[in-house]
Amino acid sequence: MELLDFIQRRFVMDKETVRKVAMLARLELSEDEMESFTKDLGDILGHLSMLDEVQGLEDYAFNPVEVSDVLRDDEPHQEIDPEELLRDMDTYEDYVRGPRLS
Amino acid sequence: MSEDISDRIRALNDIYGMFYSISDTDIGKHAFHFSAKDNLATKDHPTTAGSRILSGYRPPFDAAPVESLRRAGGALLGKTSMDEFGFGTFSVNSAFEVPRNPYDIERSCGGSSGGAACAASLISGHLALGVSTGGSISCPAAFCGVYGFTPTYGRVSRHGLLDYGNSLDKVGMLSADCSLIGEMFPLIAGDDPRDPTSCGHPEMRDMDMPTRVGVPRDSVEELPAGLRQTFDSALEVLKEELGMEVETLEMPMFRYAQPAYYIIATSEASTNLARYGGMRYGARGESLDSHFDRYFTDVRSEYLGAEAKRRVLLGTFTRMVGLRDRYYIKALQVRHGVISEYKRAYQKVDAIITPTMPFTAPRFNEVAGMSALEIYLADHLTIPPNLAGMPHLSMPCGYVEGMPVGMQMVGDHWEESMLLKAGEAWERVFERQDPEAMV
Repeated sequence: MELLDFIQRRFVMDKETVRKVAMLARLELSEDEMESFTKDLGDILGHLSMLDEVQGLEDYAFNPVEVSDVLRDDEPHQEIDPEELLRDMDTYEDYVRGPRLS
Repeated sequence: MSEDISDRIRALNDIYGMFYSISDTDIGKHAFHFSAKDNLATKDHPTTAGSRILSGYRPPFDAAPVESLRRAGGALLGKTSMDEFGFGTFSVNSAFEVPRNPYDIERSCGGSSGGAACAASLISGHLALGVSTGGSISCPAAFCGVYGFTPTYGRVSRHGLLDYGNSLDKVGMLSADCSLIGEMFPLIAGDDPRDPTSCGHPEMRDMDMPTRVGVPRDSVEELPAGLRQTFDSALEVLKEELGMEVETLEMPMFRYAQPAYYIIATSEASTNLARYGGMRYGARGESLDSHFDRYFTDVRSEYLGAEAKRRVLLGTFTRMVGLRDRYYIKALQVRHGVISEYKRAYQKVDAIITPTMPFTAPRFNEVAGMSALEIYLADHLTIPPNLAGMPHLSMPCGYVEGMPVGMQMVGDHWEESMLLKAGEAWERVFERQDPEAMV
């Protein structure tokens, strides 16, 4: 909630906003990146605000053309050898190893 | 590949940097040769999408369009260089090769399919698979003096394409020979159950080229004089030699397409790039002993490039609770408005035509001096059809101080055949100038 309040209070892109957004995006920014992204994103958001001029549009869709539901047959099949998929991962006895959860 | 041609392509690549990786395939044993942008999965080549975060990744399968072209007897020459994940207009945002323009190596090829356009321009009879989200086929096609065809959203399967923006990405083709695109495009078009967005659409139907075309008034204002003159001369040829009627249109929604596009594209990109955290693909973190938050943050911070970070930040911001209606939903409404404006125009004309880019290929030092916003604004002519999912074809239409100029024709959804017919008619009346270094 603290973050939500914070965001709703501000439509500006300053360093504090960039730092919080970066945290959500799992990015850690250097001081140089923080400087340049704050300026760039501020400029870009200023430009995006021209959409406030557009009024009266209600309809929208998530795709530019109609996309129908297409269901495949629920048949078990294996297109790719799991060995191949595991090749790019860190494994231990055919289990995928990942970082600590706690 | 015969040794002589293979050596010449490798030698050219040392200068022009259009390929990230090159095959040893023998061209002579195949019906035709093609390349794939490096965001299309290939089982016998690394697939990096121009990003260090995918260094060393080799997919276990081919993307659907690559699979289709191989099945038809095509030889994959290599993977073409590109802006990281397609994030760019000049192909300079690659972690690897930056392709150089075939007409002047001090200039950009355009982006993000810059390597594809460069290969199409320099290799005779070549077909390059490109991908467009906001203009990434049209822009480099214009800068490199080739034909660049982007189909309707959903016409070609995206199975095996590394997503940038799911509701915007389209696989298309670039070549110096438009009739080659016309011949090969049906091979990659159509339903693929592995990508449900490609299923259940109208079939490709055979159409004639357009007889009435419209030029949006705003699209030709503030163009540099040489480019305007070249475009106007091309319109005269369309009228005099191809018998088309040309009229001016008012399309006021187009000015809002660019901001709407950047909101939708970065919103989708920021979720798509969440999968790159150093576990499943490419680069890995130093130690799995760290907490997962720390681990993912370290990998992403180290291996994503500056433009990828900028777009992930913007997209994360515009999707936030409390801001979603103001940005993301508003952008979807604007997209709907732009599509409606196109549909209204198509009651009067068959196709819409504009210059492809508002300038010719810039020098690398000019690109380096542009701000992020200036670069985003450069796409304002290619974004409307991409946002609306409309098929479009960029055609070379002249030269200003030796650099190619492109014009972009846009048709209604599913009318690919009309555009390809126009391209084939255009190449009979327009004389392309090949770059000096050709294979």
